[in-house]
Amino acid sequence: MTDDRREKRRRGVTERQRPLWLLAPGGALMTVIIVIPLLLAVYLSLIDLDQYTLRRWLQAPFIGVQNYVEAFQSGLPHSMWISVSFAVIATIATVPFGVAAAVATQNRYRGRGLVRAVFLIPYVLPSFVVATVWRTMLQPDGIVNTLLARVGADGGLWLSGPASYWTLILVEIWAAWPFIYLMALAGLQGVDGEVHEASAIDGADWWPKLRHVILPYLRGPVLLACLLATLSHINNFTLPFVLFGAPAPDSVNVMPMIVYVTSFQSLRFGLSAAMAIVSLLLIAVPLFAYLRALRLDVHEDGDRG
Amino acid sequence: MGLRRTRVVVALASAAALTAALAACGGDDAGDGGKTLNVLIGANTQYPQEFQAWQKAISDKFQAQTGTAVRFETFASANEELTKIQTSVVSGTGPDVYAVGTTLTPTAYSTGAFVKLGDDEWTKIGGKDKFVPATLGISGPDDTNQIGIPWVSRPFVMAYNTELLKAAGIAKPATTWDELARQAKQLTKGDQYGLAVAYKDNFDPWKFVWGMSMQAGNPLVEGKTARLQDPAVKKAYQTYFGWLTTDRVVDPAAAGWSNPQAIAAFAKGRTGYVALTSATGAKALDEGAVKGKWSFALLPTVPPGATARPANGVEAASILSGDNLLVADYSKNKDLAFQLVKLITDQDAQLDYYRKLGNLPANAAALKTLESDQRLLPVAEAAQKSVATPFTGAWADIQLALTNVVVQSIPDLSGGSLSDAQLDSRLAAAQKAAQSALDRAK
Amino acid sequence: MTAAGEAHRLLPRPLLVAVTVVLCAMVLIPTAYILLASLNTDIGVAEGQFWPSTFSLKSYREIWTTADLATGLVNSLVVCACTAVASALLGTVTAYVLVRYAFTGRLTILRGLVGLQSIPGTLMLLPVFVLFSSAGNYLGIAMVGSRWGLFLAYLTFALPFSTWVMVTYLRGLPRELEEAARTDGAGTAVVLLRIVLPLSLPAVVVSGIFAFLLGWNDVLFASVLTRPETQTAAVALSSFSATQEGGAFPVYSQVMAAALVTAAPVVTLYLIFQRYLVGGLTAGGVK
Repeated sequence: MTDDRREKRRRGVTERQRPLWLLAPGGALMTVIIVIPLLLAVYLSLIDLDQYTLRRWLQAPFIGVQNYVEAFQSGLPHSMWISVSFAVIATIATVPFGVAAAVATQNRYRGRGLVRAVFLIPYVLPSFVVATVWRTMLQPDGIVNTLLARVGADGGLWLSGPASYWTLILVEIWAAWPFIYLMALAGLQGVDGEVHEASAIDGADWWPKLRHVILPYLRGPVLLACLLATLSHINNFTLPFVLFGAPAPDSVNVMPMIVYVTSFQSLRFGLSAAMAIVSLLLIAVPLFAYLRALRLDVHEDGDRG
Repeated sequence: MGLRRTRVVVALASAAALTAALAACGGDDAGDGGKTLNVLIGANTQYPQEFQAWQKAISDKFQAQTGTAVRFETFASANEELTKIQTSVVSGTGPDVYAVGTTLTPTAYSTGAFVKLGDDEWTKIGGKDKFVPATLGISGPDDTNQIGIPWVSRPFVMAYNTELLKAAGIAKPATTWDELARQAKQLTKGDQYGLAVAYKDNFDPWKFVWGMSMQAGNPLVEGKTARLQDPAVKKAYQTYFGWLTTDRVVDPAAAGWSNPQAIAAFAKGRTGYVALTSATGAKALDEGAVKGKWSFALLPTVPPGATARPANGVEAASILSGDNLLVADYSKNKDLAFQLVKLITDQDAQLDYYRKLGNLPANAAALKTLESDQRLLPVAEAAQKSVATPFTGAWADIQLALTNVVVQSIPDLSGGSLSDAQLDSRLAAAQKAAQSALDRAK
Repeated sequence: MTAAGEAHRLLPRPLLVAVTVVLCAMVLIPTAYILLASLNTDIGVAEGQFWPSTFSLKSYREIWTTADLATGLVNSLVVCACTAVASALLGTVTAYVLVRYAFTGRLTILRGLVGLQSIPGTLMLLPVFVLFSSAGNYLGIAMVGSRWGLFLAYLTFALPFSTWVMVTYLRGLPRELEEAARTDGAGTAVVLLRIVLPLSLPAVVVSGIFAFLLGWNDVLFASVLTRPETQTAAVALSSFSATQEGGAFPVYSQVMAAALVTAAPVVTLYLIFQRYLVGGLTAGGVK
C-alpha cells in the first residue's frame, strides 16, 4: 500500500477514496464458490477416495502424493500433450475466422443484423448437439463421406484412430470461432471514428489500413480471447465425449476425458482429483508466462497517455 | 443519449434484482417434511407419454395407499446416474429409491450406501419368490448380501430378416457362432450383408466377448484374478473382428457404427441379421422397410470353433440385463420406500409397465402371462438363459478395458486386418487394467 | 450511430461479400442439416440421410412431452438472465477498481482470475455439491434444487471472465469524462452508473452473453443441482439423448428439433441486444 504513487493526486483520487470495498461482493463469491471447493478438491486428491470409501469420505485413508504418482504413471502426460496441442491449434485456427467475421460486419449494410445472428449460431448450440450432429455427419457412411465419394475422394474413418484428432480440431473450430468473433467485435467498437477518417485522408489502401490502423486495436481483446478460448478448449469435455464416446481412441483421449472416466466410470475420485490438479498446475505455468509476455495484465498508463 | 443509456442499465439492473428474488422464492417450494418419496429412474424417450402415464398411475396409487407423494426424477445416461449416486452418497442426501442397471449394481453395492435386504425387507416387498429366479442373479455377491430388487429385464437377442434367410435357403437361425458366420456368408451378396454389427458402440462389443468366453468356460473373472489373456478371449475377439476383416459379412462402414446405426441398417431390409438388440428395438424395426419381415432369435450359445459347448462352458444367451431397484441407506423413509418398491414390482404394475413401455417384467407371475406372445418367445427364453456378469466393484473397469480393445482396433479393422501381435498387446493392456481394478476391490 | 464508420469500409466490397458468404455457408450447412434432421424420421437420420424422404413436423409437437422442455426453458431463461446481468454488472465494478486504482495485490488478483478460468468443471462438481448440501444441512439454506444455488454457481463461474473482458475494455477508455464528473462532485456509484457502464456497453454485452451461455449450455452442474421443477433446458435437452443399451432407438429428430427450439431464445435475445454491441466510444453525445 505504501508504494502508492503521488501521481494518484493528478487523477483527483486520493488514497483514502479508493473504493476497494467494491471488490468485496465478487471476492466473497469467488472465495466461497471457487476457492473453498478448490481446497476441498486438493484434500480429495490426497486421500484414497473411490467407490469403497466414498460413503465415509472424511475417514478415507490419507495417502499423500500417491495419487499424484499414479497420475503420472497413467496416461496423463500423453493426454496433457494431446489436450494442449489440440487447444492451441484450435485457437490459432479460429482467430482468422473470428477477426474476418468481425471486420466484415463492422460496416452497416442491409441484413447485417441477420448475418451477425447467423455467426452466433454455432456458439449458441449446446455442445452435445454440435457433437451429435457432426458425429452423424462424419459416420463412415454419413453425409460427408457420401459427398466426398461423389468427387472421387475417400473420406475414410473420421471418428476412429489417428484421424479423430483432426476431426476434434475441425469440429471445435466450427463451434468456437464465434467466441473470437464476439470479442473482436467488441474490440472494434473501441476504434475511433476519427481514426477511420484520418487513415482515409491518408489515402490508405484497405490492407495497410486494416493491418496498421485497425488490427492494433484488436490486439488486447483478441489475445485475451485466445487465452480464454485455449483454456475452454482444454477443458472441453462434452465435445470429445459425445463425438467419440468413452473409452475414446488414444489420439483423442484428452485430459477432461481421462479425468471424467477415472472419476465417473472407474469411480476413483481421489486419483481423478489429482489428475485434474496436475493439469491445472501444468496449464497455470505457461498461462502466467503468457500473461507476462503479452503484458495483458499490466497497467497501460503509458499506452494511451 | 447518455441519460437514456443509464436508464436502460438501471432498468436492467432492477429487472435482474426482481427476477433473482423470484428465482429464490421459486426454488424454495420444495421444502417438504418427508411427505414426498424421491425416485430416480432412467428417462424414456421412446414412449414419453406412456412413461408419464405410468408415473402418474404409480404416484396416485401410492398416495391413496400411504398419503405420500412420489416424485420421479430422471437421468439421461448411466454416467449421469453415477454422478448423481456419487454426490448423493457423499452428502447423504438425495433420492430414496434408485433404478440401477444390472451392470452398475456391483458398483452401487461397493459404495455400501444401499440397504442390504434381510428377510424382513424381502417380506415387505412381497417375498423373493415373486421374482423370476434368474433376475435375482445380480442383486448382490451372494444370497445373504443382496441390495438389488429386480424390476425389469432387458435381455439381449439377435433379430433376423425372415425373407432374406428364406431366400438363401436357411431354415432356421444359427445356434452356434460358426453357423452364424456360415449363414452370414450365404447371405452376403451384392449390396446385401449377412450381419449388422456396431463396432463403435460403447456398450455392445464387450457383450460378445463376454458371451463367447463364458460359453467356452472362461468367466473372465475368477475370485480376484482377471483372465483376459486367455485363448478363449482371444478367439472371441478374433471371431468378432473376423466378421468384418476375414469373413467380410459386415458392411465396412460398420467399423464406425454405434448400435442405432446397426439397427437402422438392418431395418432397411438388406441385412440378414442384426447381431445385438433387445425387445425395445422392436419399435425402430417396425418403422423401417423390414416391418413384418423380421423376428427375434436367441444369440448363439456354442463358442466359436466348436460344434458343442465344452463341459465347463455356460449356456449364456445374454448378460443378465435390466434394472434393479435400490433403496438408499441414508433415506429417512425406508419403510415407505419398500412399500413403493412392492407396488412397482407387483404383477399389475409390472404388466402395466410392460404394456406401456415394452420392458419384460421381473415378476414371475407377470412374465407367465406373456408366454402366449409368439414374437416375444426368444426374448423370454433369453431372459431365462441370462447369466450374471461377475459381481465385483471392479466390473465397471473390466468392461471399460474390454471395450477399449475394440475402440483402439477400429482403424486396423477398417484397414482390413489386425495382426496377432497387435491384438496380444491390446489384450495385455486390458488384462493389466482389469487386474489392477480387481486388486483394489475391497 | 455517427456516419464516421460507414463512410470507410474496412474491406473492399468483393472481399466483404466473399468472407460473409463463406462464413455463412460454413455455419448454415450444418445448421440446415439440423433443421432437415428435425423434420426427418429417426431411422432416416441414423441411416445418414441429408434430405429426408418424408418431411414431418411431428418432432416439434413431441418434444414438449418427451421431456419437460417448457419448464426447462423458463428456468433457464430466469437463471441465465439473472446470471448475465449480475455477472456483467459485478464484473464491471470489479474491473473498474482493478483498472483505475493501484493497490498491492492487484496483479495477483488479475492473474488469479485467469487461473480460476482454467479449473476443470469435473474437479469442482463434487466439492461444490458438498458445499451446497452442507449449506442445506447445517445452515438451513436450501441451495441444492433451488434456482438460487444454480444462479450463484453460474455467476461465480462467469465472473472471472466478465471481469477480464471489462478490464481489457476499460483500459482503453479515457479517464477525462470520469474526472470531469468527479470534479463536479459525483461519487463512485454515480461515475460507474452514469459514465463507465454506458461507455463500455459493448463489453458489458459480450460478458453478459458469455455468462448467459455458460449457464444455458451447462449440463454437468445443472444435472445434480436441480430438481425436476428447477431443471434447466440443457438438462431437459440432454434427456432427449437418453438411450438404453442395445435396442431403444435414439429420438434423433427430436434432439435436433429441441436443439433448435432451445437455441431460438438465445438468438432472439442476441438480436435484441446486438445494437448495444455497437456503440460505446463511437456513439454520439460522448465525444
